[in-house]
Amino acid sequence: MMRSVEVFIVIMMMTGAFLTASFFAVLPSPRKVSPLNLSRLSLTTLETLDAGSDLGIVAFDTTNDTAWNQLQVALSASLPPNIVYNLTAYDISSANGQPLYSASRSISNTQSLGIGSDAATYMVASSNVTFSITPQKIAATLYILNCSDSNGWWITGYTVQSIAQQFADMFASYFDPSSIVMVQNTSQLGQLLNGGRLGNENPQNAIVINTCGEAVPIPTSYAIQYQSDYAQYCYQLGKKVNQYNWTWASIVGYPFYYVTNTGQPPLNQTQNTWGIYGMRNVDYSDDTGRAGLNAFLEGIDNQQYSYSTAGLTSGNDVVSLTPSALNNCSYYGIFPSPNQTVTRALSPSIITAYNLTKGVNILNTLSTGALSGRVFNHIFKGDSNVTGSLFTLGITRVPDTRLATLGILCNYNPVLYRSQYTAAGTSKLVVLQLGLAGGS
Amino acid sequence: MAGATIDHLVAFTIFLAALLLFIGFYNQMNQTAIVYQYHRFIATKCSDVLDSMLLNPGSPPDWGISGNSTRNLTFFGLQDPEFQEYRLSPFSLMRLLSPSAQQYNNVSWNVNGGYLLVQASECIGYHNVTSLLGISGAYDFQVAITPTLTVNISQVPNADLKLEIQVYGTGFPLSNANVNYLMFWANTKTPSNYPILNYNFTSDLLQTDSSGIAFKEFPSLSNETAFTFIAKAYLGGICGIGYLSQETVTDAGNPIPYIQSYDNGIANIMLAQNPETGMGNLYFNASFYALPDNFVPIQAGNFVGSVNSSTPYQNLTITTNNQTGFLVVAYDDGNHYGMVITPLGVDSIGAPVTFGADVSGKEWVATDLRQILIGDIAYQAKLSLWSLQGYGVTG
Repeated sequence: MMRSVEVFIVIMMMTGAFLTASFFAVLPSPRKVSPLNLSRLSLTTLETLDAGSDLGIVAFDTTNDTAWNQLQVALSASLPPNIVYNLTAYDISSANGQPLYSASRSISNTQSLGIGSDAATYMVASSNVTFSITPQKIAATLYILNCSDSNGWWITGYTVQSIAQQFADMFASYFDPSSIVMVQNTSQLGQLLNGGRLGNENPQNAIVINTCGEAVPIPTSYAIQYQSDYAQYCYQLGKKVNQYNWTWASIVGYPFYYVTNTGQPPLNQTQNTWGIYGMRNVDYSDDTGRAGLNAFLEGIDNQQYSYSTAGLTSGNDVVSLTPSALNNCSYYGIFPSPNQTVTRALSPSIITAYNLTKGVNILNTLSTGALSGRVFNHIFKGDSNVTGSLFTLGITRVPDTRLATLGILCNYNPVLYRSQYTAAGTSKLVVLQLGLAGGS
Repeated sequence: MAGATIDHLVAFTIFLAALLLFIGFYNQMNQTAIVYQYHRFIATKCSDVLDSMLLNPGSPPDWGISGNSTRNLTFFGLQDPEFQEYRLSPFSLMRLLSPSAQQYNNVSWNVNGGYLLVQASECIGYHNVTSLLGISGAYDFQVAITPTLTVNISQVPNADLKLEIQVYGTGFPLSNANVNYLMFWANTKTPSNYPILNYNFTSDLLQTDSSGIAFKEFPSLSNETAFTFIAKAYLGGICGIGYLSQETVTDAGNPIPYIQSYDNGIANIMLAQNPETGMGNLYFNASFYALPDNFVPIQAGNFVGSVNSSTPYQNLTITTNNQTGFLVVAYDDGNHYGMVITPLGVDSIGAPVTFGADVSGKEWVATDLRQILIGDIAYQAKLSLWSLQGYGVTG
């Protein structure tokens, strides 16, 4: 008898254990096991209703009973019969920088959606509001070398003028109109180099974009003065860049490789050894133009002029845009190819030789360590002020104006001010909550 | 002594029985939980597969408009490559070949006088699709793309041609909806017996009543007139489209349009005679109309000819420029008239598409639903998915 009692106690314990386990092992209701994805259904319903902006129009017209009735008919016709819904439009206002939502009108086909409902939210814009983006203006003058009496090299397929126009268009919203100055010929360039102005612009801290590729326009007076050694002209350019704290942008190839002036004899009778007249290599001692960049860097560093044909480029490679440049592509809406072929990257040795520091770069460093797509800022030892910059892409021909524009924007980083979607009266939040008829 | 032994035996038997009973209880509870988990996983998979189909255009993305790309498809998707979100390509949906189809995909065969038959070699087969989706051997599915609004057109018995247009959604009639229409008809012929295709695009706007019904009467046309009527309904942001084409079987049969190919803006359609009692001349007058969202058709090709026993079909080459539209065909045998229609782009006449395996008799079928757009026509995409691997599938 004793054993039977013990077994009875064991059975009681097992029953208790089973009941306890059953209590905690709560299985979901059958509808939850294989549910409709109500959230997705809700979102796609809202998107469908707003495909022709109808939902947005109705959401802002909260006193129009006819429109809301039509919306309800359309909503009821769109959803399966066993779906119950509640659609509410919310006004958006802000307090202390935080958006506040207050219900403005609602339609529903049920009193209760049960506990198994799901919802999607959708922002609709007012048809009376235009959303715009206003860029911060860059506080500098933009000189675009658009010299009609000069030729370009390594700008194959383009003309100097077409490239200049592209830059003017791309930078139009980032500068005050009076701050974008087209340098129309080499005479105007000479005027500028001699300390003059072309309008009301401020030449201090300006940006100069050379649209002639590897060539640089040379004013007639400079062409005559330095016809025995054009590198000295590049040296003078370097000194002006230093004096006015310019940022000189070279958009393709080897900077300052040729000088160009199609109106000045004997330069207009000379060709650059590739058949382009009005242009010749900077070097007088050989057929290269490497002395130009050496002289420019000497000028920017206020060194004594010394003629040198030493090469400053190093390595060829395909390099990609830097992560920050890629981010800025999306930010500014400029999308050049993320991979670029670089054949004229500069040796890092120029940094110490000419008191340069590495500024913003949009292209990654080559495997050889050479630098391309980078701004080199000149800062004298013991000083913290930038006194002239060189932005050189170093890419092979042909130039991509988007790349140069991206580099300059990355360097100055103007902010884009977008219309706020949460500004009162501009947007409404529509919430569509769906449930299954009969609760969960 | 004997009493203690009996006590032992009884106690042991009861203990054994109770133990087995409780093991059974626990097993049942575990089994139920496993089945629940399994069903839940299939539902999740269903939702994922549906989004995967609807939210990418496939690769290459132009496969809807290129037969060559269809043959080289490396990923399956139905999204319109020119749009984002849930907008589907009207052309990709025409290239789906269900397992039951043979030479043509038979999306639509004589539904209200409409045909949608695309040659199988221009389509992608169901088993290829399951492979490209990565579910081959694990799941089967059926996807049904149906218009959200049903625009049902029927002829009302009357002396004149009178049509009833009924508009309703999945659960509700569409009252006070605006209805536009296009009317084509054929009741006369040229001296050479070719039917004259008449049309009326300057349609007045109709409005449905509280039952979602509107009527349109054509007092100048008898109720014997062969016609094709296309109606587009609109209310509160959703559009639906429907059609009725009066197909008649003449003494020389009736023509059936087979889409042989459509590649980068060029469609080749074979208009074949479906012979009835005789094989006499069947004269036709066919026009292709591009149908933009504003519902104003643009004629982009006209073909006149005949088919008979010696020439049982004619090939029509249509330049569509990748625009959706429809080919409307009027035909006669000299005495009787009829009309058929075939869409190029499913949204032009609101054709539904069902693609996939047969869902009947399957043990557990998960379904999911999305609202989508094809062109500006609201559709619903419903995916039914089931496992081929029983309880072994646990994810």
